[in-house]
Amino acid sequence: MDFCLSSAQQLLVATAREFLKKHCPPEMVQRLALDSHGFDAALWRRMAELGWQGLLVPVEFGGSGGSLLDVVVLVEEMARAGAPGPFVPSAVVATSLLLAAGTIEHKKRLLPGMAAGELLVGVALGHDGNTLLLDERGRLNGDARFVEAAHVADSLLVAARVGDERALVLLPSDRPGLARRALETIGPEKLFEVTCAEVAVNADDRLDPRWRDAVDAGALARTAELVGAAQRVLELAVEHAKTRVQGGRPIGGHQAIQHACADLVRDVDASRGLLYAAAWSASEGTPAAADVALAKAYASEACLSVARRGHQIFGAIGYCEEHLLHLLHKRILAASLDSGTTAEHLETVARSIGLGA
Amino acid sequence: MEFGFSPAEQAFADEVRAFLRERPLAQFPLDGMDAGYGSGAHSRAFLRALGERGWIAMCWPEAFGGRAAPMFFKLVLFEELALAGAPFGPLAGSWQTADAIIEYGSERLRREVLPAIARGDATFWQGYSEPDAGSDLLALKTEAHRDGDHYVIHGHKIWSSHAGIATHGLVFTRTSREARRSRGFSMFVVPNGTPGMDIRPIRSLTGGVYHYEVFLDDVRVPAELMLGPEGEGFQALLNGLDSDRFWGRFYKAPALERVLRRLVEHANATGAHTDAGLRRRLAAMAAEIAALRLLFYRAACLLRDGAPITYETAVAKVYADEMGQKLARLGIDLLGPWAPLRPGSHEARVDGEISHAYLTSLGHTIAGGTAEVLRTTVAVRGLGLPAEPRRA
Repeated sequence: MDFCLSSAQQLLVATAREFLKKHCPPEMVQRLALDSHGFDAALWRRMAELGWQGLLVPVEFGGSGGSLLDVVVLVEEMARAGAPGPFVPSAVVATSLLLAAGTIEHKKRLLPGMAAGELLVGVALGHDGNTLLLDERGRLNGDARFVEAAHVADSLLVAARVGDERALVLLPSDRPGLARRALETIGPEKLFEVTCAEVAVNADDRLDPRWRDAVDAGALARTAELVGAAQRVLELAVEHAKTRVQGGRPIGGHQAIQHACADLVRDVDASRGLLYAAAWSASEGTPAAADVALAKAYASEACLSVARRGHQIFGAIGYCEEHLLHLLHKRILAASLDSGTTAEHLETVARSIGLGA
Repeated sequence: MEFGFSPAEQAFADEVRAFLRERPLAQFPLDGMDAGYGSGAHSRAFLRALGERGWIAMCWPEAFGGRAAPMFFKLVLFEELALAGAPFGPLAGSWQTADAIIEYGSERLRREVLPAIARGDATFWQGYSEPDAGSDLLALKTEAHRDGDHYVIHGHKIWSSHAGIATHGLVFTRTSREARRSRGFSMFVVPNGTPGMDIRPIRSLTGGVYHYEVFLDDVRVPAELMLGPEGEGFQALLNGLDSDRFWGRFYKAPALERVLRRLVEHANATGAHTDAGLRRRLAAMAAEIAALRLLFYRAACLLRDGAPITYETAVAKVYADEMGQKLARLGIDLLGPWAPLRPGSHEARVDGEISHAYLTSLGHTIAGGTAEVLRTTVAVRGLGLPAEPRRA
């Protein structure tokens, strides 16, 4: 057993930290969070130059053929910096699904552009708020909600009901009948409602119907976001506890604050352990669904509690809009709700430990 | 990164499982109560069976009768035994003592005590706490003064686990008055039955006896039975605390997993599995146990690699002990009015394990460093927060 990052992963982390410090400082995170468009094309391009969007893309399609473990380590670092943008939906979820269930034409058409940072693919896979129905005429009708960054996506991967089945469909965003409308969230994520009215779906828009067997890369990546953002909350809170002086001594000299900080460490470390173990299982190709569900369910609760406890440690200053804390908190909240809710993941765990249906 | 076991570790796990199949646990008489930590009851017969397999000494250097197996073999053994609910109570203490003897024990301790540990014959109680020295260990009053080639120990120890059925005490004493409060302490390995030693049981809230208090009335021990450097005993103790906490709690995750499996079976059998709330709590508990196991394995990797440990074992210990309380609480909700029935009672469910687990878990967040003391350790030593002012 070994918990250490490989030397290549260490390099990835060090590069990412350095890059994000320079190109994605807290002021930028703030600005993009408050801006309704909230997408920085220059940052996205720079990330692509570093090969990030191509990390999961095989070499023959213009990427570097990294593992889920690599991408988890990178996403953790991005979330630590509060880096905005649709990396998870496009570079992780859509990329993984295209690889697992796309046709060779889909891959050739999209993956090289996605890896280069020139194409962006959004995803609408969740059950909640999804009424999309694909009928026998090949027409798609209904809504998909909570679709991240649909406003900048060139294509969308949407899940739709077909009879009793769920199909996965790839649609260009400008396909006639498809409309996008912003949902205003409290967080930095840009969510949309995608409405389809008689949208034509051709046979070659369909992906392999067994797509649901693909590893839940989205849940893993969201767990990495939870851990990365919670890690930053921990670092900020400890720094604050050391430097904020009241009554002649740092507040971190009081046991009440010390014990709160000790619990932050536990929650972050425990979440990260489950994250890495699940990502490792998935990268090794072993059945990882239960591990992923367990990690996501655990980290969602643990990291949200890190965020809330972080606010308590920071006191009044953490309540300000210009403080990074609430953005990290909102990011944790958003990640906890995406790619499967805690209830859904716990049900997967319940079955895996042998609880009868 | 690598989260699997090596083929050799896997093969050893299979070997332990085969042993557990060949030797059903019911064959082994129990001679001391299960304190709920996960290492089961005290059974000298079981310990001897492990000794016969060569498993107690397996990680010792060859010169001391071992075969220098990697440390992870101990984890594999612990995990398999705990998952099976085996009574290996004193094993962690035996290993810890053996490691100390190998590191800095006298020739006599190496010659006499090590082989007895390897056979499963020698087991140890810790004589650290005193009536007025609990979390503040340095307030202890037990003294040992030199008399020729002997030391004479005088004092009063308390909360010593299994002292009445162990063979030796590890008695922590003050051997000199020093300017610095943490200097001048020494440890002795004192055989039970040495004249002047009076060991009295303390009945606990479980109704059983796990702890003892020990009165030491001018107990004479040969100087060769001092363990570790004279006067530097506290530093040695501190250095060993992280591995104490680790080895004293590592098996808690698999032990909790065993209890959880029993609760899952019970829920399935009684229909409680259809209660959405209980279902979620059981699943969430499985996630917590998995997280705990990995915290311990991460600490294990640090110990194995000789990397510095600042907070990792303290975090894992507190988490393990609080999780044990949470699982017992969940078990009580699952069992309802059957929950308080004792092991052996008519109508007891899950063998009365939950009522026992609930009670014993109350002691776990206190023993071996309270949850409060350890959270402070995590904050000060691990995170670098300023320590509260304390006496010099």
